[in-house]
Amino acid sequence: MPNIKLQSSDSEIFTVDVEIAKCSVTIKTMLEDLGMEDDEEEVVPLPNVNSAILKKVIQWATYHKDDPPLPEDDENKEKRTDDISSWDADFLKVDQGTLFELILAANYLDIKGLLDVTCKTVANMIKGKTPEEIRKTFNIKNDFTAAEEDQVRKENEWCEEK
Amino acid sequence: MSSISSTNVRPQMPLRQKDFDQIWGDLQEGIEQVYKRQHMEKKRYMDLYTHVYNYCTSVHHQSASSTSSGRAANNNGGRTANYSGGKKQTTGHVQGGAQLVGLELYKRLKEFLRIYLINLLQNGAELMGEDVLAFYTKQWEEYQFSSRVLNGVCAYLNRHWVKRECEEGRKGIYEIYQLALVTWRDNLFQRLNKQVTNAVLKLIERERNGETINTRLVSGVINCYVALGLNEDETSARGQNLVVYKDTFEAVFLEDTERFYTRESTDFLRNNPVTEYMIKAEQRLQEEQRRVQVYLHETTMERLAKTCDRVLIEKHLEIFHAEFQKLLDGEKNSDLGRMYALVARIPDGLCELRRLLEHHIHAQGLQAIDKCGECAHTDPKVYVSTILEVHKKYNALVLVAFNNDSGFVAALDKACGRFINSNAVTKAANSSSKSPELLAKYCDLLLKKSSKNPEEAELEDTLNQVMVVFKYIEDKDVFQKFYSKMLAKRLVQHMSASDDAEASMISKLKQACGFEYTSKLQRMFQDIGVSKDLNENFRKHMSNSSEQPLHIDFSIQVLSSGSWPFQQSSCFQLPTELERSVHRFTTFYSSQHSGRKLNWLYNMSKGELVTNCFKNRYTLQASTFQMAVLLQYNDNTSWTVSQLEQHTGIKGDFLVQVLQILLKAKLLVCADDESELTESSVVDLYVGYKNKKLRVNINIPLKTELKVEQEATHKHIEEDRKMLIQAAIVRIMKTRKTLKHQHLVVEVLNQLSSRFKPRVPVIKKCIDILIEKEYLERTEGEKDTYSYLA
Repeated sequence: MPNIKLQSSDSEIFTVDVEIAKCSVTIKTMLEDLGMEDDEEEVVPLPNVNSAILKKVIQWATYHKDDPPLPEDDENKEKRTDDISSWDADFLKVDQGTLFELILAANYLDIKGLLDVTCKTVANMIKGKTPEEIRKTFNIKNDFTAAEEDQVRKENEWCEEK
Repeated sequence: MSSISSTNVRPQMPLRQKDFDQIWGDLQEGIEQVYKRQHMEKKRYMDLYTHVYNYCTSVHHQSASSTSSGRAANNNGGRTANYSGGKKQTTGHVQGGAQLVGLELYKRLKEFLRIYLINLLQNGAELMGEDVLAFYTKQWEEYQFSSRVLNGVCAYLNRHWVKRECEEGRKGIYEIYQLALVTWRDNLFQRLNKQVTNAVLKLIERERNGETINTRLVSGVINCYVALGLNEDETSARGQNLVVYKDTFEAVFLEDTERFYTRESTDFLRNNPVTEYMIKAEQRLQEEQRRVQVYLHETTMERLAKTCDRVLIEKHLEIFHAEFQKLLDGEKNSDLGRMYALVARIPDGLCELRRLLEHHIHAQGLQAIDKCGECAHTDPKVYVSTILEVHKKYNALVLVAFNNDSGFVAALDKACGRFINSNAVTKAANSSSKSPELLAKYCDLLLKKSSKNPEEAELEDTLNQVMVVFKYIEDKDVFQKFYSKMLAKRLVQHMSASDDAEASMISKLKQACGFEYTSKLQRMFQDIGVSKDLNENFRKHMSNSSEQPLHIDFSIQVLSSGSWPFQQSSCFQLPTELERSVHRFTTFYSSQHSGRKLNWLYNMSKGELVTNCFKNRYTLQASTFQMAVLLQYNDNTSWTVSQLEQHTGIKGDFLVQVLQILLKAKLLVCADDESELTESSVVDLYVGYKNKKLRVNINIPLKTELKVEQEATHKHIEEDRKMLIQAAIVRIMKTRKTLKHQHLVVEVLNQLSSRFKPRVPVIKKCIDILIEKEYLERTEGEKDTYSYLA
């Protein structure tokens, strides 16, 4: 198996199996666009991902390398948040900062599986919470005036649970 | 995503115009590098990708809708919870959907591509012929490649900003690769397509004229035209619709093709025979097919083939038809095959060929039978093999040259049916039932014991051939009559060559005509088997019996009267020598089966006489009648004809025939000429009888017997047919209750067609008979309508 060298924003180099790296559609497309015959020594810099996060991403991709391809997004199919595998759940037992950085990395590298599971984790953190609790969880300052807040509440009445 | 900024993961600053200009500067440099097809390192690629990413994820003040960045951020975070299709849209000051950044970048990319292509056009605008093709295809390939790389670099823009724009229904926004194609279409293709298409057509024409061309030039252009068929409503490359290819190329190409082949085929036919033309046309069709495979789009295949078929074949159909007859006459089978293959491409084109073929086979069949002359009338073998030869020849033709096409098979069947049921032989006999009669006789020849009996396998094969002819016979009932008659004789006289062959033939007939058709034949077979056991039992009975033994070998066949085509003999007085055997058997039989009546068929019986009156001891194989006459000479060596008639009970003219044979055999002598025997003629035993053989068969069938039999057979057939027709009428009327005359006739014809072809006057007659018998009545007040009387 050929390898590829990925370089994090803080200049750490990771040598990864190409097939695992191709979990990232961004890397896959680049390899296709530039041709695969280039030597393995050429380093691929990923200026938006730091080494800690890149390490996590590679760990995730390695574990999932043999997953079947994800089904096409179906607009009509309701998305679920309770189908996170136990491995993924363990993997994502990290602090909020890391979680959000993983989301960013997954988005940047275009790794749909990872993006899905990380966003679902965040969604689960929001689920069943009052606005106040959510603000607390994510450390958000309430910048609505009371009138504005009433307005928003009224508009979103229909999605409140009865 | 900028909600993250409040968690201090990464500060993401609003992008200022200055920053964007800087990003664009570097990006543009990279893109130029891409379009110049210079080598690009992975690092550079990732830098460009990251530029696009950073730009798209920045917060853009100008495009943000209102209020604070925090508000916009909240909305951004709602990306995954997009309930735009939901029950109620969020309204008011908070705009639905996120403010993704990208329009500015998109505009600049579009402008870049436009300028790039306008510059490119200047290099190609003046080119013509192959030069323009070389230019166009080369540029297209490079452009396509570079645009793919650009698309990869801009993947993030595609994934977010473009996707959102399209979801919100904005027209004229494409994924970057699509944008590149659209820009090519609007700037390069629009200006160059006429000269490019013309050059392609010229090139194809040159290839049709035998030159070798660079097909990659053509396929390059075609690929481009296909790719440019963008489905404007779809952002992805999947939405191809071939519009550009069809409009710009295919339509003109087909016109061009039609013009080219119209001229070529007319010229060629003027100077060459049709057979040559067909080879040429076949070649051309193959070439065009290959053309599509090599460098056109597959969807053109059908339309191109149709165009070629029309010009190369359909327009010349009349010439083809005229040639077809000549080819049949000349037995040019490969040319016939070629013509078939060509004409088969035209819808309904084959009708005329089928008609001509049917006509031809019919004529050939009649001619072949005519040629045999007299021979065919009397020799069943000649007749049947002549028919088979014609059938075999044209069956092979249909199979090989006409691909066993069902229409041609039908034409063959129709023609064979016609000439087999009506030809010189049937006309001479004035009856279509001559054919089944001769066929049945042929079967008899095959199945009867003789020195010429073929091998088992060969016989089976010949019987299959017989079935081929049988299939075409209209009067299958006539065949049945003759066949059963001859089978009966074979069985009774132990003349069957092989039980297996007989059984095989019967099963073939059964397969062809059903159980009923052969039920009598099968009964006859059974009777013979049963009779064997019966004789065995009788012999045992006799040896166990206390009564006096018979002193005569005696065997008997008991035939069920309904199944066998025999008539009871005329009056006859059994010689006393035989009486006892007959009596004993009758007693035995009625003890076994009470209530059954035995009628004796003396005319079918035979026996052996041993002579003591001649120099040698001869064994004569004789018919019962002959025996009766000869036995008289045990009492006296001289009798008058009338005395013999009195003693034997054989009728006058019949007796004369019996005597004639005995006179001919030189067993008896008479002073009168044997053809002029009278009642008073004296017939003496010829004591000086001599024969080289000690066993002599004098049992020769009587002439009148044969003649009467044939006439009777034909008469029977008429009678039987009337019964069958009546039965059919009753069956039909029973289900229909009332029916118009015309419909009734049609249905009767239909029902009976597998047996024979009823003549309409006979059907009418049968209807009258049934009305008389009160099975039917004419419906009152309605003309030509009958109702069924239960």
